Order: sequence, then C-alpha cells, then structure tokens
Amino acid sequence: MTADIMFAPAPFALAHAADTERRAPKVPLDEAHFEAFYRRTAGGVWSYIYRLTGDATLADDLLQKTFFRFIRSNPTLANDDHMRRYVYKTATNLVFDHFRDAKRERGRPIDLPPSELRADRGELRHDMMRVFSELKPQERALLWLAHVEGSSHEEIAESLGVKSKSVKVMLFRARKRLGEMLTKKGLAP
Amino acid sequence: MNDTCPFEPNVVDAAASGQWSESLRVHAASCPDCAAAAEVAPWMVSFSKQDDREHILPDPSVLWLKAKLLGSSAAVERASLPMTRVQIAAYLIIAAGWATLLTWKWSALAAWLNTLNPGRIATGSAGAAGAATLSMTVLVSLVLLASATVMVAFHAVLAEE
Repeated sequence: MTADIMFAPAPFALAHAADTERRAPKVPLDEAHFEAFYRRTAGGVWSYIYRLTGDATLADDLLQKTFFRFIRSNPTLANDDHMRRYVYKTATNLVFDHFRDAKRERGRPIDLPPSELRADRGELRHDMMRVFSELKPQERALLWLAHVEGSSHEEIAESLGVKSKSVKVMLFRARKRLGEMLTKKGLAP
Repeated sequence: MNDTCPFEPNVVDAAASGQWSESLRVHAASCPDCAAAAEVAPWMVSFSKQDDREHILPDPSVLWLKAKLLGSSAAVERASLPMTRVQIAAYLIIAAGWATLLTWKWSALAAWLNTLNPGRIATGSAGAAGAATLSMTVLVSLVLLASATVMVAFHAVLAEE
C-alpha cells in the first residue's frame, strides 16, 4: 500500500453536515469512536467492495485504504450517516480507480468474473456472483447501494459522484439489465 | 422521469419481504420504476445474504495506529521538505563555486599545488613559492569554499544520523 494512495487529499470534507452540525463545536474523532464506527460499518463496506470486485484479497486491501483515508481526513464527530457516506464514497472511488488502473496497465477487461469466483465452492453463491459480475461496475454499485444499503438517490449520487437526477435513470437501467439477465438464466423470482 | 417515485422504498421493502399490500401491488404494476425495483429486489436481498467473508476483518486499533504512524512520518517528510531544498541548493552553490574557481584560476592553483610536493616542502621553499602564485582573493575564496564544503558534509552526515 503506497503512502500516496493512503494520504491522498480527502475527496470531500466531512463537514458536509447540516447547518445545525456546522454550528456545533467540532470534536475530532478519537480512537474509541473510530473503533465503534468501524465495527458498525466495516463489514458492510467489505461486502460492498467484494461484490463490486469479486476478489476477497482486493476487498481486504481496499477496505484498509478506505479507512486509512477516513482517518487521514481528520474526521470530526459528525453525524454517523455523514461518516458512513464518506466511507462509501471513498470505497467506490478506490474500486473504480482500481478498475481503471487494471484496464490501463494490463488491458484486462473489467467485467470478467475473477478467477476466485470460478474456484468458489458454493454453487449458488458462485452463480449469483457470476450474474452480478456481468453487470458494469457502476451498475453493481448502484444496485448494491439502493437495495442492500438502502441509500437514497441523493446518497447514491454522492457516493458515485454523479448528478442526483441521473441516478433514477441509471438505476432503472441497471434494474432492467439485471432483471433481463435473471430471466435469461432462469433465476428470476 | 426525473422525479423519484415516493413509493419506491416501500415497493423495494415489500418485494424483498414478500409482504405486499393490495394498493402497493396495484401501484407497482402501473409504475415502471417500481416494477423494475420489485423485479430485482428479492434476488438482491438473497444475494446480499450470501456470506462471503471467511476471515475476520483487520483490527480497528491496528488500523488506527498504522494510520497515525504513517500520518506522522508523512508530516515529518512534509516539514523537512524546505530543509531538504536548502541542502540541495547548498550543494549546487558549492559545486558551482568550485567549478568557477577551478576554471578561473586553474593555472595559479596548479602552480600552487605543484609547490606542495614533498621535495619542496622538505627544503622549506613551498610556503613562500605558494604564496607568490596565489592572490589573497583566491586564497580567501579557497578557504571559504573549503569551509563551506566541510560544513555541508558534516550537516549531511549528522542529518542522516
């Protein structure tokens, strides 16, 4: 893990809080609060990264980088929801950066299911991951955030760095695409 | 197409849990967004329940410590950057000084160095002959440059330690 990745400037400050929070004195996040926040969110963030990348080792690495960046951003004891959004946005950026780098450096197509999936022992899990990995990374992120994290369109827009108004259309297309794939593979409910 | 359907979260919940109210079912049948959401919601829920994490996550206290330690070393690196720049500038100035002096007064310096051979030193004529070949300005420049070189070298060694 290189220092430039870990200490890259924070994409946005955690101070994107409501006016009431801005008026409140900013207390830096201490270790105990970080631990509590980490225990609440890390599992979900790991699953999110894993579902986007399909690689458990990479998910471990990107999870660490995500939280390194989070600590490095000198977060204040803001609303838990803001901190969570910051973490998901950072994780999304890191995953997309990884896909970009992989594509540029090795010319590897980003939509191929990784070797780990093929070696997976659980057949159902294998099938589900294979279906999901056939979607584009942004579609995977959209569907996961909307259906699993229960994020609103505004939160999704913030995490993916897109306009809030575009999320509705993008999400609709992603759902349609997944629906078609499930029907084609006989996995539709 | 830009306004979010207010029933979408309810439809997603209903589709995921399988507990539909009649009005919601009617709405989902007529709203394309909600129909698309309802189509994939059960699959997404069962997909999210697949536990893929077979090992424990990194310890938060280790992450915190590592981030703080690496943050400190990055801060030290940032703080020492001006000093490093001054040091590089000093190396360049001294190197340029030596290059100028050697180019400008090479013949005088060569003659002076020639007087320092062991034979001349033994006869005691080295000092007088040497002083005669070098002007006071060159001699002072030589001493200053030599002192500066030694100081910078010492600084580099001590900074390393």
